[in-house]
Amino acid sequence: MRLLPIAPLLVLILALLAGCATVTKVETGEQAVGARLVVRLEGPWNRIDAPGMGPAQVWTMEGLPVDQLLVYPGIKNGELVHASTGGSAKTFAFRSSMQPHEIVAMFEGMMTRDGSQFKLARLEPASFGGGKGFRFEYSVTRRSDSALLSGVAYGVVSEGELYAMLYHAPRLTFFPRHRGRVEQMARSAQLRAADAAALKASSGGGKRDCMRNPVTGMWTGC
Amino acid sequence: MRRSLVAMTLVAGIAFAPAFAQAQSMNLAPGFSNLPKDATVVLMPADIELFSLSAGGVPEPKADWTEAAARHFRQALLAHNQKLGLRTVEVSEDAADELAEVNTLHAAVAQAIAVHHFGPLKLPTKEGKLDWSLSDAVAPVKKATGARYALFSWVRDSYASAERKAAMIALAVLGVGVAGGQQVAYASLVDLETGRVVWFNRMARAGGDLREAQPAAETVGSLLYGFPVAK
Amino acid sequence: MPARFARPAPETDEGGLWAIMDREERRLRRSPFALRDAKLRAYVQEIACKLAGEHCPDVRVHLVRAPLFNASMAPNGMMQVWTGLMLRVDNEAQLAAVLGHEIGHFLQRHTLERLRDAKARSAFGQFIGLFGVVGALAQVGALAGMFAFGQEHEREADTIGTTLMRNAGYDPNEAWKVWANLVLEIRARPGGESASPLFATHPPAAERQEALIALARDAAAGGATNEAAWGEHVAPYRHEWLTEEVKRGVPEESLALLTRLKERSPKVAAYAWARGEVYRLRAGEDDLDRALEDYRAALAAGGEPPEAHRGIGLVHRTRRQAAEAKASFARYLEAAPQAPDFAMIKSYLEELSL
Repeated sequence: MRLLPIAPLLVLILALLAGCATVTKVETGEQAVGARLVVRLEGPWNRIDAPGMGPAQVWTMEGLPVDQLLVYPGIKNGELVHASTGGSAKTFAFRSSMQPHEIVAMFEGMMTRDGSQFKLARLEPASFGGGKGFRFEYSVTRRSDSALLSGVAYGVVSEGELYAMLYHAPRLTFFPRHRGRVEQMARSAQLRAADAAALKASSGGGKRDCMRNPVTGMWTGC
Repeated sequence: MRRSLVAMTLVAGIAFAPAFAQAQSMNLAPGFSNLPKDATVVLMPADIELFSLSAGGVPEPKADWTEAAARHFRQALLAHNQKLGLRTVEVSEDAADELAEVNTLHAAVAQAIAVHHFGPLKLPTKEGKLDWSLSDAVAPVKKATGARYALFSWVRDSYASAERKAAMIALAVLGVGVAGGQQVAYASLVDLETGRVVWFNRMARAGGDLREAQPAAETVGSLLYGFPVAK
Repeated sequence: MPARFARPAPETDEGGLWAIMDREERRLRRSPFALRDAKLRAYVQEIACKLAGEHCPDVRVHLVRAPLFNASMAPNGMMQVWTGLMLRVDNEAQLAAVLGHEIGHFLQRHTLERLRDAKARSAFGQFIGLFGVVGALAQVGALAGMFAFGQEHEREADTIGTTLMRNAGYDPNEAWKVWANLVLEIRARPGGESASPLFATHPPAAERQEALIALARDAAAGGATNEAAWGEHVAPYRHEWLTEEVKRGVPEESLALLTRLKERSPKVAAYAWARGEVYRLRAGEDDLDRALEDYRAALAAGGEPPEAHRGIGLVHRTRRQAAEAKASFARYLEAAPQAPDFAMIKSYLEELSL
């Protein structure tokens, strides 16, 4: 029996069979993901939990076979960005020194372990979580069923940890339908200071906002 | 391997519910009750795969069975639809080539419905409704066929080989129950004007045999139980 | 040559297999993994046709986007050629060697015999695309062992392949080189030769190279390689295939391959650039120096991919050599205004200017 790199969907199916997968509603409004990341939702999402799904939270609107939003709440140096797999399958770990290019290559490697194909469409600097981050667009040809997916992602490295959101869905109908909310969620993302995680996030008073002016290209407040 | 895992999912989903069609509302999209009498339905090429289960339970694809099954299924489907008084058209192989991406899209949506609507992993945002739509991705199907609705079907069917049956008997003697073959399937009706999945049924059971004409007709009958045709 | 095969009755063993193949061929035709460039496909089809002689009408070539060395032929005439193979052969004759070998198996119905075994059927199915996913392409090697043709069949296919090559006007002395080159790559693997994905359906026996040399010796001298025509046809795809090779993330093997390609064709900037990428990404001791050397070789050869400038820029940026980095990034942006990462590289440039 060969070992397949376990994508969220397959883990889900196995967990489902074992009776230990759950779905939770993620409500409109502010949502904390992990200790520091906070996003604002303008409509509810569904979050799927199952043991062995990996370090990202997995959200969906239409169901995992259709769309997936992977939310990474602070990946530490050396940590894998996917569930650990037994055997000799290649693994992808984050290093704090990684540049945006390398982080994209890491996610690309993760998504192509099963023979799927990945193509980068765009990579640009972007503010994310109030820091100097990056945004990328991509397309994926899924090996298992030849589905053609489009994707958009945001990421930032803060205090040596990676915070990111990756969303992909079929390029027909579903990606266009939901991408707007994903972009809005990403733009709303904030990172609390690590020791303030227990405090309610304020609307920014006293916080310096590191932002990039899209017109002049200048970074301010960093 | 993915296909058999999907099959297992459908089975697992079914384990929480009876094997036949649910209460009508679960199979129907909100606001849809039945097809208009003169609506044309295009029968998309059925995705069928038959397996033989080895003694150890490993499924082995059997192309000659699948070939026979595809023929019987198609005949049975045409006959059943005629009985229901439906106007149907079929898709040529060449046209089907052009529609590959829509087919793939629908298959992914159908999996999602199987896992998240009929299975135990319901999505709160769907509020318990059959609420999935492909929107205008289905336009090429409408254009190519002139139909108003499309019927998709998918069947994965496994049969215990002789060795498997022997193993089952042997294990039963030892008090161990082991599954024989299983038939998992879905049928999905899509409105080609809106892209909405208006009716969906899925089935998982231990019986059924698509390799012969008569039992194939019975399978189709079960699969299309509750098909929303105007009375 | 045997007479053309009639389609077997569907209830027979063989008929059942044809049915599977036919269905898979339909799936392949519709798959986004198929490379549908009409010109390139027609070119490879023509070569296969020349080799197959009377059986030409029964052979249907499908090009598949996959960065591994593989070609296979199913009993129903469906032939697959993976882009990894097309990257690795140096000329038409070498491609003909592989295709001729596959046609040899086809003519002698070796595949059919092998497919009577369930495990072999499963393994072969995965190359053909039959039973769903070839998990990670890296697993292909493990399958090779399960499917492999016996030595007798391999010898037969080599003999027939050599004859077909010669009859079609190709130089049979190119055949052994294909395997020799592959062996080079395999030996570069840290784990060694076991279960290499590169051999897919044909794990090599040591004697095959010797046998192929002997067969070439016995065949009449002469024959074409058509290297120029080959180069012309694959040139538009080289960049894409090299990018896929680099993305495999197996630097030792890629270095063996790219070193061979670079040394063979020093004027092709893309090979030097690709090897530079492998060094830069591996980033081991001295690798960044090697990367710079290769990028510069690409520039010297002329017609370099814009990414060569980006590569130089990224190395200098890593070393905090701002002036050099800026200069190279600027050249990249100038050469590739439509690049997907234009905005990102532009921001690197701006940062370095602060």
